[in-house]
Amino acid sequence: MKLDTLTISEDEVISRKDFLEFRDDDLKALVDAHEMAQTYAEPVIEDFYQYLLSFSHGRSFFQDPVVLARVKQAQKNYFLDLTRGDYGPEYVKNRLRIGAVHQRIGLPFQTYLGMYNWYLRNVANRFFEAYADNPGHALKLLLSLTKLVFFDVGLAMEVYLRTIEEQQEAIKELSTPVLQLREGLLILPIVGALNSARARQLTEQLLRAIASRRAKMVVMDVTGVPAVDSKVANHLVQTVAASRLMGATVIVTGLTPEVAQALVAIGVDLSSVKTAGDLQSGIEEAELLLGYRVVKVETAP
Amino acid sequence: MASIQSALTDADWMKLSADLSSQIGELRARAVVLDLTLMDVMDSFATRVLRTLAQTVTLRGAQTILVGIQPDVAIAMVQLGLAQRLDGILTALNLEHGLDMAEALV
Repeated sequence: MKLDTLTISEDEVISRKDFLEFRDDDLKALVDAHEMAQTYAEPVIEDFYQYLLSFSHGRSFFQDPVVLARVKQAQKNYFLDLTRGDYGPEYVKNRLRIGAVHQRIGLPFQTYLGMYNWYLRNVANRFFEAYADNPGHALKLLLSLTKLVFFDVGLAMEVYLRTIEEQQEAIKELSTPVLQLREGLLILPIVGALNSARARQLTEQLLRAIASRRAKMVVMDVTGVPAVDSKVANHLVQTVAASRLMGATVIVTGLTPEVAQALVAIGVDLSSVKTAGDLQSGIEEAELLLGYRVVKVETAP
Repeated sequence: MASIQSALTDADWMKLSADLSSQIGELRARAVVLDLTLMDVMDSFATRVLRTLAQTVTLRGAQTILVGIQPDVAIAMVQLGLAQRLDGILTALNLEHGLDMAEALV
């Protein structure tokens, strides 16, 4: 996840704060608590890492004492940022950056949420201690803080979600090469699960390749597709039909015995699709139909 | 050979259909190559006309070859379920391939 691509528009920030009903009085309440936060920032952070390191998966992320010291400092800064009153673009950028760092070290989002929850619980106790004579104010302060924390969690979650999206994009691009084997003959090896979006993209890519490479035959190999259900089969039939409209014949290869049985059992009609047992026989058949004859060169022993 | 322009009205289609079937007799044609390269939309009516046309051509003793269907048009036709209606009609990528195919038939 690249940090510079990671931005959220100001309008979006405003609308999110608006939805959380984060208003000026929340901001004021938090700023008023800044002095108090300064007095207990240190002990809360210490407690926090003690709590975190008491879990094996927490320990696994902060083994290096140097890293731990740096993370503690960053955590303290964040802790004080929460009551500093400036929740503008710089603050948002920092939150996104912190989210990206956690995502990069592979911290599960559940742990992230758990950490926030611990923090809220701990700070809540301190609020009620500090305002023992006025629990109403402590509650109000806590609610204001909760709004801000939820805003921050939303930003961190954004990083995690966008990373997943980016990875899906990358997989999509990687997995649909259309290769030319001979003049007029294309190979389309499909690897990985097919969903509607990918099948559509695959069809478009294939049709464009048929047009640009002037192909007459296509061998589509589905050995690498783990499961073929009625939906996927339907996509394959559509791809074959669209290719035919462009004058290319498609041979589907690599339907494993299990997949073939499953297709027959669910009653998918693949009669309009030419098939061959494996990639080799598919290519051989395509070559034959295109008029190629592959002859082994006899070399002297 | 007939080349079809991008926007044909329903009446144009009917006229094309009538013209072609009469000319097959006059020219003793064995193959009809229909160039659809310029068509950017293919609706159900056009598909039906093409199908009827192909059937008429078959009855007159010739074969129809559709050429030049564009990728986007092909995808749209498949998604609208129009592709099956053209089953049994020969197709080719472009005019050149289509004419090769026609020569092989003649």
